[in-house]
Amino acid sequence: MTFAMSGVGVLMLAVFLAPRRDLPVLPRPPEDRDVLRVAYAMPLTLDPQGWQFFQPTQNQLILSLWEPLIECDPETGQPLPVAAAGWRWSDDRLTLTLSLRPEGRWSNGDPVTAHDYVRSWRRLLSRETGWSGVLFPIRNAEAIHRGELRDPAALGVEALDDLTLRIHLNAVRSTLVAELADPLLVPLHQSSVPLLEAYDYVRTPGDLVTNGPFRLEQSGPDGFRLAVSPHYRDRKSVALRGLEFVRTESPALARLLLAAGRVDVAIPPAAGAPGGLPTRRRVTEETETVLKILSLDFNLAREPLRDVRVRRALALAMNRADAIPESDRGRMVPAYSWVPDMPGRPALAAMREDAAEARRLLAEAGYPEGRGFPVLILPVNARHENYAYLHAWTDSWFRELGVRTYLALETGEGRKRRVEAGDYDVAINGILATVPDAGDLLSVFAHPERFNIPSWHNPEFTRLMAEANRTAGADRLALLEKFERRVMDEAVTIPTLFERRRTLLAVEVGGWYADPLGRQALKRLSIRPPEKGEPPREGRL
Amino acid sequence: MNRASLPGRWLRDWRFWGLLWLAGLLAGLGVLLWDARGWLAGAPEASFRLTLLNQWPVWSLWWVVAPAVLWLQHRLTLLDRHWPWAIALHTLMAFLIAGLFLLATAVRLLVANHLPWSFLPVILHDLRATGRWDHLPLLIYFLAVSVLYAAGYHRQWRAGQLLTGELRVANARLETRLVRASLDALKMQLHPHFLFNTLNSITSLIRNDRAREAEDVVAGLGELLRRALEHRQESVDTLEHELDFLRRYFEIESIRFQDRLKVEYDIAPECLRALVPCLMLQPLAENAMKHGISRDPEAKLLRLGARRERDRLVLSVYNDGPPLPKDELVTGSGIGVQNTRARLHMLYGEEARFELRDQPPHGVLARLTFPFTDPTAP
Repeated sequence: MTFAMSGVGVLMLAVFLAPRRDLPVLPRPPEDRDVLRVAYAMPLTLDPQGWQFFQPTQNQLILSLWEPLIECDPETGQPLPVAAAGWRWSDDRLTLTLSLRPEGRWSNGDPVTAHDYVRSWRRLLSRETGWSGVLFPIRNAEAIHRGELRDPAALGVEALDDLTLRIHLNAVRSTLVAELADPLLVPLHQSSVPLLEAYDYVRTPGDLVTNGPFRLEQSGPDGFRLAVSPHYRDRKSVALRGLEFVRTESPALARLLLAAGRVDVAIPPAAGAPGGLPTRRRVTEETETVLKILSLDFNLAREPLRDVRVRRALALAMNRADAIPESDRGRMVPAYSWVPDMPGRPALAAMREDAAEARRLLAEAGYPEGRGFPVLILPVNARHENYAYLHAWTDSWFRELGVRTYLALETGEGRKRRVEAGDYDVAINGILATVPDAGDLLSVFAHPERFNIPSWHNPEFTRLMAEANRTAGADRLALLEKFERRVMDEAVTIPTLFERRRTLLAVEVGGWYADPLGRQALKRLSIRPPEKGEPPREGRL
Repeated sequence: MNRASLPGRWLRDWRFWGLLWLAGLLAGLGVLLWDARGWLAGAPEASFRLTLLNQWPVWSLWWVVAPAVLWLQHRLTLLDRHWPWAIALHTLMAFLIAGLFLLATAVRLLVANHLPWSFLPVILHDLRATGRWDHLPLLIYFLAVSVLYAAGYHRQWRAGQLLTGELRVANARLETRLVRASLDALKMQLHPHFLFNTLNSITSLIRNDRAREAEDVVAGLGELLRRALEHRQESVDTLEHELDFLRRYFEIESIRFQDRLKVEYDIAPECLRALVPCLMLQPLAENAMKHGISRDPEAKLLRLGARRERDRLVLSVYNDGPPLPKDELVTGSGIGVQNTRARLHMLYGEEARFELRDQPPHGVLARLTFPFTDPTAP
């Protein structure tokens, strides 16, 4: 009897937990007509300079409320003026003068001035969030941030008048204009700073003054609701009536909210999401390359990694594609270059995998079949998702070359300290671009002292990068390609994986576009009415 | 009433703990509902995420399930079920509790995200798919049950220790009674009156040139004393040896009573090898002599009987003397009788019976019934 009851119980549980496909979709409430609803799982902040972790939704929220000087063209990656009307370089390309649009308005009707940018950037430099580095190309910025200069007015940014902003650089930097599209560099109204720092916008959301296409209407534990700003300079081009950022507890739940009809945009879990949606809501999946590179960096202060043949052998003995598990296929992409695909510049095939050549090089370096080769120490944060990848890659080194690796388990903080102290042979690192430009990612090799690459500096690379920064267009791209091939040939690091970001969209969302930096301007999107007579289709995810 | 034991009694009373549990439950629910009153009333600015209903730790559900866990553990201990069953039932309970925790988590997510109830199984399914099913309650459950079992076994062990102690005391008492019986027998043998009577009898036999008989009496007295001393060290002996001892006793007594004492033996042969408590019959025979034969000049018969009734041995001592005094009938309060009764109980518990009753028209019968033990049986 008991067995029978248990059997029935297990059967009921199985039926109860079986994947569903037929649950109802919630109808869009009338007040949400033409309102784009975006789910988010990581906490968001309304302070443009107060966020801790990179996430596209944070960018989208900030760029909905505030408008920066520049936006990057999604197709070409080239900078487009938005709050700025235009810009002009000095002859020596060390001074950039930007003119602001006279019609720029804050949500309370005040005009947007150059002083608002100066105020915002000085504030960014005074903060300890770690993002101040975006201003370091500007004269005296780094010295002010480090406390070596006390006077914030010494920053190389000045408001010549209400509508003219001038920036003085330390050195020529061709990507600077594109870098002004960073959400960190939006202007701040004088009333906003105390409001943001006291979190008063939660109680009085209407008091937060912004210059973007939307203004804050509601703020609370369940999310944020934004309405079109009545004073936005380009209000007529905004098809949406508003935005809602809907708080949820996990990407898996964000996916469910999308399936249920509660939101229109969601970023699904990186891995482990069940296949198929529980409703018949029509949903599409968009992917975009993330301008991010995961690499294995060598400590060139240690033998035998000083020998370029050893480094090349290790790079050739990698097995990138096979290390990617089924659950990560489509999200993680094998990296054979330092710069991933980006608008206007496809990735190079600068590295290859060849185990026989790797064995030959290692033997030539004096370690045939790995004999006499020391155990490589690779500090690793065991809680991080890349742990499984490290196992696969280091296993490939052992299998192909006889090189053993010790994965030294550390906490996240312990690993960071160890890498900074140079107490490692190989370290896994990641770097994220701030502009859609190859030079941004490659500059790590031109200024290795800034990126914790110990005991390695090639002045030739610094010279090449300076030369590239003085040029533009096809010449610059050619120089950057030469730079990248030389770096890969030196094999001071092994690029391992690129990442692709997935976004789930309800089919009624119109105008979505890929942005490698996750900075989609939601003002460009729209909600299309459902097409009449079209039969419901099962969600294909 | 013993005031000092009052708190101890409360602590052992399940109703006290039940009330405490109920009070805690109601207080917790009250706090949760009071805190969430705005959200429950549908206030537009209220959010479920900010209520304690959403934020209270899931582990406080242990308070709710604790009585069920304790009840199951108690029942399984009481029923002394076979251990595979106990493991199966505890596993079932552990999974039920883990399921309850999971359900609570899923409901919280459902409500916080304003999803319809039909999405509850989907949330559970997704939690499983993303590896967020929390298995910690299973571990905690088995840990708690292990602790409860350990405590229970410790308590039983302590009780066993006490029981062993009591048994030791009881055994010691039994031994003491046995020794006392031996000593009584010896004392009886050495009783001046008995000894003088015996010595007088011997003297009389010598004067009447009955030297041969006098020698027998002296030898009998010596044998009686030796056997009494031997019996002190043993708890059981065969009925045959016990009857030998009594025969010596009656030989001496028969000289004192001349021809008046007539001893009959009605012993089934198969009973001779049966084990009987040492010196169990002697006090009864002494009583029969003392309170029966010697009190009535007409009385002269003393009959010893032994027979087997299935797996029981029935021993009897009959005398045709006067009936028992009334108080003796009611209470059986004589020391010899008390000792016999106590020894039987100690040795055989409820399986032994002792009767002492008048046997109309004449005489008194003492009858012992206890398990038949054959030392030669495998």
